[in-house]
Amino acid sequence: MSASLATLVYAFIGLPLIAIVLLNLPNRKFAEKLCIGTGLFVCIVQMATAVIAVLLLIEFNKASMSFSQFWDMHVADDAAYFSVDFLSAVCLFCIGMVGAVSFAAAGSTVRDKILNYTNMMMVLLLGMNGIALVTDLFSVYVFLEISGIASFLLIALYRDPVGLEGAFKYLVMSAIASAFILLGSGLLFLEFGSLRFVVLEEMLQAGVYNNPPLVWLALFFLVAGFAIKSGNMPFHGWLPDAQTGAPSPVSIMLSGIVEQMSGTYATMRLIDIFLLNKFTVVNIGMMLLALLSIVLGAIAAVGQTDFKRTLAYSSISQIGYIVLGISCGTVLGYVGAVLHFFNHSTFKSTLFANAAAVKNQLHSTHYDDLGGLQKQMPIAAATSVIAGLSTAGLPPFAGFWSKLLIIIAVWQTQGAFVASVALLASIFTLAYFLRIQHKVFFGPEKQRPAVKEPKDGIAIASIALSVVTIGFGILFPVLLLALQTQGVL
Amino acid sequence: MQGILIFLLILLVMGSVACVMFRSKVKAAISLALISVILSIIMFALGQFWAAIFELSVCAGLVTVVFVCAVSLTRPDRHNQEVEEAYHKKVSGLPVFMVILGIGLMIILTMGNFDFSVTVDAAAQVRTFNDVFWNTRQADIIGQIIIILAGAFAVVILFKEGDKA
Repeated sequence: MSASLATLVYAFIGLPLIAIVLLNLPNRKFAEKLCIGTGLFVCIVQMATAVIAVLLLIEFNKASMSFSQFWDMHVADDAAYFSVDFLSAVCLFCIGMVGAVSFAAAGSTVRDKILNYTNMMMVLLLGMNGIALVTDLFSVYVFLEISGIASFLLIALYRDPVGLEGAFKYLVMSAIASAFILLGSGLLFLEFGSLRFVVLEEMLQAGVYNNPPLVWLALFFLVAGFAIKSGNMPFHGWLPDAQTGAPSPVSIMLSGIVEQMSGTYATMRLIDIFLLNKFTVVNIGMMLLALLSIVLGAIAAVGQTDFKRTLAYSSISQIGYIVLGISCGTVLGYVGAVLHFFNHSTFKSTLFANAAAVKNQLHSTHYDDLGGLQKQMPIAAATSVIAGLSTAGLPPFAGFWSKLLIIIAVWQTQGAFVASVALLASIFTLAYFLRIQHKVFFGPEKQRPAVKEPKDGIAIASIALSVVTIGFGILFPVLLLALQTQGVL
Repeated sequence: MQGILIFLLILLVMGSVACVMFRSKVKAAISLALISVILSIIMFALGQFWAAIFELSVCAGLVTVVFVCAVSLTRPDRHNQEVEEAYHKKVSGLPVFMVILGIGLMIILTMGNFDFSVTVDAAAQVRTFNDVFWNTRQADIIGQIIIILAGAFAVVILFKEGDKA
């Protein structure tokens, strides 16, 4: 057991650090040749380690495991340390998966900046892994800052005006969000004297707090901060510009995982502590934020004229579904949200990888320049259909099950009206997805030089993710049965 | 102290709204640094000294430096009549909104029975920096190391590589 834990430390925190050191020691030309392989290795090992972590948790019948082999982090009772539980293991798997897709896309898109890209990707992985592993709200803030700085530099990688504009907006909003999160954490500390998740949960359960207005104020700042980070409406201003301005592999990371880890994951942790302890007004606020994001995000996506921009608004809408699931404050809603978290990482990475493939060939993602690509790019066209249908929540794809669980949970807790709105918004999802297919892959073929789909990392990643989307959709009832048997549902 | 804290909280929220609305990147950078300084003062007033130091060093320091670097890399906005008019139209209601926001926040914070007095165990306050840093914030030490790394890469990406180009 202890040997396994030591391995986990090296994989999640040590491995990206070692990769940075190794890549920057040798000659630059030689290091550049190793970048993609190293990045893929780190991400795949991370995915494998996350699976091992889940198996260890099940084997030893534990809710979480903390690290103490590498560095004794339990010197003091209130020490901040790293720990893995089921939620963080799912997130760590998603980080590895989306990271691998991003590296697969980087080979043909950011070849000339590959060393800087790999270095910053490792920093970004460290930041997000840290968010998933820490057990303390202040540590979440520290690792959020790391993710924010790394994302900014990745968006501005080429220092072109569009990229810098997107990076600039991202940094402004990210810094304001961080300020709100730190302020909220400070107010919570004032009331509880600790920011450790376990301590907060224990004190709330025991009712050991005597200033509820202060807790409400703290929650207001925290929820607002995390909503900005995840790009919820009306705090979404930075997201489309950052996504469009970023190099393609960076867009995959931003949409596939960074927004989710920076905002949604942290909200899940908060809800785990507060909503399940009957802080019910928070869930009404979050439900409103979620509905606004779902509906307006989907409507805005329908009106876009750029492939990547449409996907950016789609992310706003889909993250709304995750927040809606969380806002129920029930186990069913929570499970639905976690599954949609995983599904969103899968189908949005597929769609952004396909956008990268299209941009690689045509040097544009504007709809006026695209159209009729189905014959020339059959893999991108087919995998986009699978990812799009999963996004819209159609059976038998994975997205159907997670949306179903969320809508059942919403129906049970917030009534038929809210559930119906969430359900009807899926029609808009289908509408913008069909528009993407029509404008990019179907429709009349445009006059342009010959386009050929390269059989590179992007194609392999898209196919692999589509297999996951279909496989997960078909096998989902088995997972549901297992959750019921374990007594989770 | 209660009154000062309420004033600083209102200033923080209003400053954040203004920061987002500024079209000038330099003004946005300055207001962002000011927000970080206000937050650091709030954290000091709440007795959370180490958090205040982190905010002051990383956010008011590093982030502002990165921000100013980004400003220096962008070309100044060309004067465009249509864009200017659209912007002025967009922000024409901002002063009224800010006044309403400020009054609303003041009412909520003064009527809301918020108690900002420091009630945390006194023993926690007299811990030495050495104790806090090495014994209780070990996960954050790793975070600090990574932030330094990120800062180093920022210099490489924004300056060294740019000079070569």
